[in-house]
Amino acid sequence: MDGEGLFRADSVTKVYPNGIRANDGISLHVAPGEVYGLLGPNGAGKTTLVKQVIGLLKPTSGRITLGSRDLVADPAAARQLCSYLPQAQVPIDSFRAREAIVLCGRVRGGGRVEVERQADELVEALDLGQWRDKRGIGLSGGVKRLVGFAMVTVCPGKLVILDEPTNDVDPLRRRLLWEQVRRLGDRGVAVLLVTHNVLEAEKAVDRLAVIDDGRLIAEGTPSAMKAHDRGHLRLQLMIAPGRDAPALPPFAQRSNLVGRNLMTVIAQQDAAIGISWAEEVIAGGAAEEYALSATSLEDAYIELTGHNSGNGGDADPGDIGG
Amino acid sequence: MAGVKPAGSWTHAYWRMVAWDFADLRLYLPVLSAVLVLQGAGLALGVGLLFGTVPRTAAVFLVTGAPVMNLITAGLIFEPQLVAEQRTRGSYEFLQSLPVPRSAAALAWYTVALVTALPAVALTLLTGVARYHLDLTVTPMVVPAMLLTCLTGVLLGLAVAHGVTAPMVAMLLSTTLIFVMTGFSPVALPADQLPGWLASVNQWLPFGPMATIVRGALVSGVASEVPRSYLVVTAWAAGSALVVAWAQGHRR
Repeated sequence: MDGEGLFRADSVTKVYPNGIRANDGISLHVAPGEVYGLLGPNGAGKTTLVKQVIGLLKPTSGRITLGSRDLVADPAAARQLCSYLPQAQVPIDSFRAREAIVLCGRVRGGGRVEVERQADELVEALDLGQWRDKRGIGLSGGVKRLVGFAMVTVCPGKLVILDEPTNDVDPLRRRLLWEQVRRLGDRGVAVLLVTHNVLEAEKAVDRLAVIDDGRLIAEGTPSAMKAHDRGHLRLQLMIAPGRDAPALPPFAQRSNLVGRNLMTVIAQQDAAIGISWAEEVIAGGAAEEYALSATSLEDAYIELTGHNSGNGGDADPGDIGG
Repeated sequence: MAGVKPAGSWTHAYWRMVAWDFADLRLYLPVLSAVLVLQGAGLALGVGLLFGTVPRTAAVFLVTGAPVMNLITAGLIFEPQLVAEQRTRGSYEFLQSLPVPRSAAALAWYTVALVTALPAVALTLLTGVARYHLDLTVTPMVVPAMLLTCLTGVLLGLAVAHGVTAPMVAMLLSTTLIFVMTGFSPVALPADQLPGWLASVNQWLPFGPMATIVRGALVSGVASEVPRSYLVVTAWAAGSALVVAWAQGHRR
């Protein structure tokens, strides 16, 4: 595949002076209009990769291109062609929300009338109207995050890089944000979405890659990634406070414990005995409730990486069987 | 299709960054200006309070040196502290990712520093002249002298801010430079009052020559070696600019 606006990373490797290999031969491409998810646990090398794209870090080896432009050789072009929302909050303490969006669009080269129109649309689309003229110093983390998103997308580059864009954002406005991400794709912008929130990514991306320990370990559409679990179900148990997780039944193919949440994957034909087992555990007082559902991308992700996504739980994941 | 617009000309980028910097600092600029006034006028008046009677020559050095401190401090202290805070909070990378030529962003910050410092310079001079009943003989050279002094302070500050990646070290370094300027440089006192070795060293440091070129444009017959001082200050500005260019162009 080639063409104007195609983003491509070829065998990108980044080794820091202290010897840490943050990226190890990563190759991927994102077409114009495509929303591409970069998933992986904390420290997997996702942010290191995007910092190389935007020209803040230099790869040890490999190529990064956008269309015909070499972004490694020409970091000024990288800044011009790419919009970047970093993981940290944007610095808008002194700015009013709409003012920050407009000024960022103007810095990115947008004309005043067009940028102001786009800014007003984004303020409305993200339901930010009540904070439109409020200074950043008084905004909550979630609202600041949304303003930051609007700042980098009001006059987007050919590639928009969003690093954990929904951090701190409430569930309702997360949905609004994902709609705007899709809209960027509809407008022909390539979107590189960095997240460890697998459930959200599943709904938002066209394709995704899983990065772990600096290496790309899987790539494909969400459906293709889940294909391995076709014919399987997720049986989830909420362990009672102070009780240990129950012994796993033989039909549980794999399982994972996050906090008090025990997730197991079972074959579809084992649904009935799975429900019976769960009800027995609850009756015995070891669990409070259970849920049976279709497997998700998260299950595939856990199997690939051995890590849980950031969707729930307050404890480190512990693999207890499978 | 969206996202194909060029980010505009250098001039466009410069004015956008001027607007950005003023908006970004609007909560703090009045405080910064007030601090500079306190620094300059406070020094001029404080010495008078300490000694009661100040000889005319000492008063001239004091009153013409204090505005130099105003011009340097804006760039040398504030920018490293701002960048250190940006690094600490993680917003440095967002600002570095904006499609703005580094030179346009630097010149925008110079503009802001100048606008912040000049009212303090005027107030410091007026206060000192009124307190010590001095007659200044201001020449047109005051314009390049003050512009170059402020520019060099800004470039030194940018060199520290972008060349030193550890925020705490950058802040300590800029604070140390201010102490050197205030206590160990012939800015508000004649060089011959310093120990010989320190006076010699100061011939090659930027602060004394900065004071010389500004003083030479404010009063006649006091400053010597003004052309040489212009050369020294210009060399420091150029060297600092090279460090800034290297630090911002260098990717780990």
